[in-house]
Amino acid sequence: MPTDLKKLQGLLYRLITAPTGVAEGVASERELGAGGLDAIVLGDDRLSAQARVEIYANMYFYRLLDVLKEDFPATLTVLGEDNFHNLVTGYLLEYPPTEPSVFYCGRQLAAFLRDHPIGDGAPFLADLAALERAIVEVFQGPDAAALEPDSLRAIAPVHWPALKLRIHPSAQILALDWRVSELLRAIEERRPWKPAEPGAVKVLVWRRNARVFYRDLQRPEADALEAASRGATFAKICDLVATGAGHPDPVAAINRLLARWLSDGLLTRAYRPRDLARR
Amino acid sequence: MLGYGVGLRPQHYSHVLETRPKVDWFEVISENFMVAGGRPLEVLEGVRANYPIAMHGVSMSIGSTDPLSRSYLRQLRDLARRFEPAWISDHLCWTGVAGRNLHDLLPLPYTDEALRHVVARIRQVQDVLERPILVENVSSYMAFADSTMTEWEFISAVAAEADCGILLDINNIFVSAFNHRFDADRYIDAMPVERVVQYHLAGHSDHGAYLLDTHDHPVRDEVWALYERAARRFGPVSALVEWDDNIPELAELGRTADRARTIFGATAHTAKPDSLEHRDAD
Repeated sequence: MPTDLKKLQGLLYRLITAPTGVAEGVASERELGAGGLDAIVLGDDRLSAQARVEIYANMYFYRLLDVLKEDFPATLTVLGEDNFHNLVTGYLLEYPPTEPSVFYCGRQLAAFLRDHPIGDGAPFLADLAALERAIVEVFQGPDAAALEPDSLRAIAPVHWPALKLRIHPSAQILALDWRVSELLRAIEERRPWKPAEPGAVKVLVWRRNARVFYRDLQRPEADALEAASRGATFAKICDLVATGAGHPDPVAAINRLLARWLSDGLLTRAYRPRDLARR
Repeated sequence: MLGYGVGLRPQHYSHVLETRPKVDWFEVISENFMVAGGRPLEVLEGVRANYPIAMHGVSMSIGSTDPLSRSYLRQLRDLARRFEPAWISDHLCWTGVAGRNLHDLLPLPYTDEALRHVVARIRQVQDVLERPILVENVSSYMAFADSTMTEWEFISAVAAEADCGILLDINNIFVSAFNHRFDADRYIDAMPVERVVQYHLAGHSDHGAYLLDTHDHPVRDEVWALYERAARRFGPVSALVEWDDNIPELAELGRTADRARTIFGATAHTAKPDSLEHRDAD
């Protein structure tokens, strides 16, 4: 590996991402010899060597700021431009991009927000960012064809207790401490919004026909979906629904859930364990 | 020769799928489709069913001193197998180092060391992809004291030694010529005719002391003049209009592509000799 090229690239990386700017980066840089940056990067009467590196430093920050604004529009709305700018400045120092695609740039923003003082006045921000990130991930998550209702109807009743349901591989269930769904929806629909209320909630984020949806899950449905994701049998799912809500008519309740999951495109397969063994 | 195409951007997905506009071909950003599933791949399926495409990457980091990413190359190869692009291109630059990504196209010093390094890596890439790639000249805002050759000497030597094609970005030549005070005409005149497979045409921003490759303006008249010079020298070469910010309606991009077609048609050009593109077609 060419050592000099490696040193040059390492030096430029450090200067472009220097926390307090290229000038201070140059001042504190030990790799620079007596000639300083001018001995490496050519300057002229229009632009010094440092000014030329600063062009790259600005592009680095503002390109990623734009990506994060696009991925977290509600977080941006709640924080405002200046606060979001400051948040991203710190975030990129803590979590600099490592992947070839900018898709991954925002994957740690919610975690970064959890301990960030900028969220002191709006403690729901980390959950809001987590929901926005999930939407981005679900949008590009794996494909699977939705299960047709007829294929469920074709299964003989005797097989139903042992039946297992496969949930769409792109779907996510988030466990949040703040009820941020309504806040996000208000911002998306350009309605007046108010801060999210505290309260543990599970939010389902899923995709159907290339569109991403999200909704809060009530207790029995959340338990049932999570159990289905873990490979629980239909009998176990029915137990959870029957006991979870104290519903007077558990059969009607499970039928309603199944109908909704089918219409939402959440189910991709219903199978008996033996079906897999044969495969 | 694919003709006169347009860069496919999300703002135009629905329009392209629903109306099938008259466009010769589309260039797609490879990384936007190196995903597990969802809308991007669904769109690309629909577009590919009706148009030729080329895949253009921004993150191969062919000039980096980090090892080439095997997983990136495998994903790129798999995408190419699925969508069968006419060719695959990326930039003659580096985008990150030490496992970090700057998401920008940084220039290399034009030295023998960099030349050897880049040539070896392009050969590795071509082995994985099982086809020649095109490398694109980037707009740059800094040049290096250590350089021992011009940019056009460097890219010509890279293409010859790695046996790859060249995606000649006419706007990038103009931008870099202004920023580094070199003669853009000399650049065009020095390019090996048989290696130039595609052009990029785009707009840029004037910041007074420098030009910035922003892809957010119409193609400037000076860039069209440079394109005309290239059209005379290189003969029939596929051209592609890039627009990445303040993106207008597709019809305007189509008119820009048509202008490139008209200029080429009115240009007394020599027939292109056997090129990399033609060699692949055989």
